[in-house]
Amino acid sequence: MSGPRLKLALEHDNATRGRHVRDIVQELKRLHWVRGAMIVAADGFVIAADLPPTVAVDSVAALTATLGRELETSAARLGRPSFSTAMFSADDGTMFIAGSRIGYLVVLADQQANVQAIRGALGDAVALIEAAWAPPGDVRPA
Amino acid sequence: MPLLRRLWRPSAERAPQTVPEALRRAEQRRREGRYAEAGALVTRALELDRDNLHAHLLAAYLHVARHATAPAKAEFRWVLGHDAHHARALIGLARVALEEGDDRVCQDLLRRALLFYPDFPDAAALLGALHAREAPAAAPLAAAPRVDRLRLPGTGRALIVSRADGELIAAQPAADDANNVSEALARALRLAAAALQRCGLGPLHRAIVNDERDAVFIRTNGELVVSLALPRATDPPQGLLDVNRLWSATLHELGLAAAPPPIAFPATPVSTPADDPIRRVS
Repeated sequence: MSGPRLKLALEHDNATRGRHVRDIVQELKRLHWVRGAMIVAADGFVIAADLPPTVAVDSVAALTATLGRELETSAARLGRPSFSTAMFSADDGTMFIAGSRIGYLVVLADQQANVQAIRGALGDAVALIEAAWAPPGDVRPA
Repeated sequence: MPLLRRLWRPSAERAPQTVPEALRRAEQRRREGRYAEAGALVTRALELDRDNLHAHLLAAYLHVARHATAPAKAEFRWVLGHDAHHARALIGLARVALEEGDDRVCQDLLRRALLFYPDFPDAAALLGALHAREAPAAAPLAAAPRVDRLRLPGTGRALIVSRADGELIAAQPAADDANNVSEALARALRLAAAALQRCGLGPLHRAIVNDERDAVFIRTNGELVVSLALPRATDPPQGLLDVNRLWSATLHELGLAAAPPPIAFPATPVSTPADDPIRRVS
């Protein structure tokens, strides 16, 4: 475990994590059938976003951050494990959301999107954030 | 480990000497998700100027980002104590109220923010989601479904049938917290529906919520919600097929569908691949 962590620490110390979060968003955006992605903090602050120009980023960020917190707090109130990923599907597309140490990863995709592939990619992105952002000795299990 | 500690130790960057410098660096750390470092820089800014409004607002945001609700509320209130019409503080406090389930306080705060600054998109979006929560209650259903006839699949852990406002109609197995689960589900689905609408994707029809134990498959039409908890490892197409069957059976039990009851399990799905987008989600 210390190998990858060491590499990430070396790579992402000294203010390169801004680029790192943008890279994570870009990687998600590159997935097949994905229209856009963003990382939003729990307070609704947009850390990084690459969404279609028709999407009002601030509004969607406020709602998805509130949704993420709602999923987390309701699970805590009910004594259940917190959500890891969630998918919400509509007529014209699908929204995925995953919780991470720094905020929520949000992906907007076409109806045809491969659910497993996107969930897997979100899991990888969350693990990457965990490895790069967690202080030593405070790494959450994958 | 000593090497790792050395690598992760805060850099030897000198402490900021002015409030603008501290806040600029704090904002930068915030944009990178480095909340602890941002918090330390805000603390430094407040050492230099304890009444700096921007620093208190940033402190509040950072508390929210780290899920520390009580100190976040205190900071937002401090800002409002110095500027009663501060839109960002009003919205921040509104979001905390929403998180705490206090919709009325949230709504009041958002309205106050929009009164002075009508162009805040996030405030308008949250207010829109709250209005959706207040939709008039649907007419009473003719009859509660006979849940014993809504047979769970072999691996099914729980079934909840509820109204979109969270009112529980039926649960299997009967559980003390079924009402609470139903209400929590309704809150989340309303927010998700609002987000989908804002993205221009249309009304919410299906959802899957995964945690480390379960995968909850949900189907809704905006009035009725059927949710089925299955083991986490369930394949999405299979889970969606299962909840589809229960959805059709529930509609039949409630007298809302003319289709024959697909109650027996396993059964042939009522819908066809052509009219069922679920099948394309795999």
